[in-house]
Amino acid sequence: MNILTDGNFLAIMGASVATLAGIGSAIGVGIAGQAASGVVAEDPKKFGSTLILQALPGTQGIYGLLVAFIILNKIGLLGGAMATLTAAQGGFIFAASLPVGIVGLISAIHQGKVAASGIMLISKRPEEIAKAMVYAAMVETYAVLALLASFLMVNGITI
Amino acid sequence: MAIVKMNKISIIGLDGVKSSLIKELMDLGVMEITSLDYRLHDKDWIGYTERDGNENDILKYDSKLSKLNLVLESLDKYDKTKKPMFAVRKSISKNEFESVLQNEHVINNKVEDILRLNSSLSDLSSQENKIELNKISLKPWVDYKIPLNLNETKFTSILTGVIPNMVNISKLQEDIENKTNKYFIDVIGSDSDQYYLSIICLKNEKDDVYEILKQYSFNAVIFKELQGTASENILNFENELSEIAEKKSKIEEEISACINHKSEIQYLYDYTIMERDKSKILRNILKTSKTFYINGWIPEKCKTNVENVLKVNECWYEIVEPEQDEQYPILLNNNSYTQPFESITELYSLPSSSNIDPTAIMAPFYFMFFGLMLADVGYGLIMSLACFLVLRKFKIEGTMQKMTKMFFWCGLSTAFWGAMFGSWFGDAIPAAANLFFNSDFTIKPLWLNPMTEPMTVLIFSFIFGIVHLFVGMGISAYMLVRDGKPLAAITDIGFWYGFIIGIALWLFGNSILPGSTPIGKWMTIIFALGLVLTQGREKKGIINKLVSGVLSLYNITSYLSDILSYSRLLALGLASGVVSSVLSILGTMGGDGIFGAILFTIVMIVGHTFNFAINALGSFVHAARLQYVEFFGKFYEGGGEYFNPLMKKTKYIKIIREEN
Repeated sequence: MNILTDGNFLAIMGASVATLAGIGSAIGVGIAGQAASGVVAEDPKKFGSTLILQALPGTQGIYGLLVAFIILNKIGLLGGAMATLTAAQGGFIFAASLPVGIVGLISAIHQGKVAASGIMLISKRPEEIAKAMVYAAMVETYAVLALLASFLMVNGITI
Repeated sequence: MAIVKMNKISIIGLDGVKSSLIKELMDLGVMEITSLDYRLHDKDWIGYTERDGNENDILKYDSKLSKLNLVLESLDKYDKTKKPMFAVRKSISKNEFESVLQNEHVINNKVEDILRLNSSLSDLSSQENKIELNKISLKPWVDYKIPLNLNETKFTSILTGVIPNMVNISKLQEDIENKTNKYFIDVIGSDSDQYYLSIICLKNEKDDVYEILKQYSFNAVIFKELQGTASENILNFENELSEIAEKKSKIEEEISACINHKSEIQYLYDYTIMERDKSKILRNILKTSKTFYINGWIPEKCKTNVENVLKVNECWYEIVEPEQDEQYPILLNNNSYTQPFESITELYSLPSSSNIDPTAIMAPFYFMFFGLMLADVGYGLIMSLACFLVLRKFKIEGTMQKMTKMFFWCGLSTAFWGAMFGSWFGDAIPAAANLFFNSDFTIKPLWLNPMTEPMTVLIFSFIFGIVHLFVGMGISAYMLVRDGKPLAAITDIGFWYGFIIGIALWLFGNSILPGSTPIGKWMTIIFALGLVLTQGREKKGIINKLVSGVLSLYNITSYLSDILSYSRLLALGLASGVVSSVLSILGTMGGDGIFGAILFTIVMIVGHTFNFAINALGSFVHAARLQYVEFFGKFYEGGGEYFNPLMKKTKYIKIIREEN
């Protein structure tokens, strides 16, 4: 049997792809963390506020995990007895995982850059942390939309 | 709405009362004294007036402040008492404050003492470093038995030095042997980089030997001023170090003995701040040879208080309302429910004085959106309880206090929406009941479960969003009417209301209200026509007017993206909910034995702490974003200046007025 026409394989592949958003989060949180260390070297009191900004690009990874979990739950992998999917069903689930996987991966990197510059901003003007956070949240909007798209698609597929 | 109305005030008085007037105004703390620099270039004023104030005084106070700060910091280091979680200003009476400051010179002496102790402490530390370095550099020579100061005897020379450790020592010996056999070479030690060597040779052959050694990149090491062998020296250094450590701990003890003077020094610090501010404010005052002139802003309702002070000091004054369009400093005033949300407004930017304070209108939306996105009874109650305890236990002030109060309210909203969606720490309680007691106990949501009916929640998110946006547009219309442009309010806001409602009915009307689709269709067409006809009214020529009008319809995309942006209400709510249910699954994997119970507890505590932290942060940021980008975008213009009255900006204490 060709594995690419195995529905269950495709569905698990979909869960994996969704989780790839975590790559982006890792890179984004990494970029922001480097900037934060530089700022904290100058002023250790800013640890709290820089940590908040560093955490912001981390959400994409959670969104990815979330969609992966919904997929695994849907195909019964977590309950022990996995449903047998047709190739089409598996393909649908795979396709549904793409938005959060791809958009999450890329948006987290960019959000990390915005968070890093936000950390630079609060090193000079600590009172402006809310603005730095909103700038980073502007990027996250698209990850949220992708999460929603993936979620609605996975939710809508009948098995 | 709730921007406090300010009045402009000008004061002229005699020099004699100046300092008492400034002191009393500072006690009142309701007047902002504005700079009069522009008068200095005014033809009519030049010659009579000059700027008051003395830069040297300010510098003196500032350097004293930095000294005091240094002392307080060093005292903090040795203060073993537990520090409170939040810095709180201590309330003391004016009498107490003054009686402490009567001994100002005593406190000053104490400060000088501590500064002296500090500097001798840092001297000792640098000495310590130096000795430590010497000790480290001698360490490799510890097995060298010849006294370090001995570099020749009657017939021989003694060389000490290092060569890189890639050098082959036996090859080196061979080379030397080719010249002479009267030599002695000893490898005293080695490390990852180099060998430590001592070489003894005849005095007259020293240059030859040295020549060969140099070929092997030999570097002579000379021990300056050191007597005796290396190990003796190291012992000496160690003795010196322990002596220094003893001295240091003695000084540290002396500093810690001063800790009971800490509060006095804090009083002095705050006193100095007040004096500094008083002399700083003089720069904003103009003086002639016998009089002074002050300009400033006071809140209208504080007029009588200020007038009383001025009458007592026999000053001439004039209080007038600001002119039309004149910008004045901003002080917000809201009731106790909405006041905590001022922090959200302040984080964006204060309104300009021609704008309105959006806090009261924004507060319920922020409250609701935050709750929708976090939506968990457990998280909400814990958050509210924590904030409540902090507010109860610590007398925090300012933004900190507002934020804590705001999160208290948001916690309640979170708990409310959690109950609506049936989320109590996710589904931890049913999961535990199922695992340990085998019951199929479930908590029914009061409204619906967003995991199974996401579309319903999505639609409601959009409806909440449209209401939010319409309220924002309504404020914009209100401001247009207030500024005497009622027609613009109808065409620019009213037509858009109709157009958006029309489209919504046309597209989705039938599923809500059967038969409303045609109404929606006609509404859309009529209001679209209205927009086309009115939106280009500022352009010249029929064609230009029409083109601008048609192009304005393109704005529907911005309204559409604004509305879609509210889908985050559902998405973030799902994020916290799904992670909670992942935790329940992970936690129940250990079965129902003792091990399972321990695993369940650990996973729940760690997991929910993490989930709460990350999602509370997300809810805070995204609820703020919906206000800043979507809501404020419709009407708000920031850029107001804070009302910055002359007052006691103390750091450690709060002086309370005595009740007589």
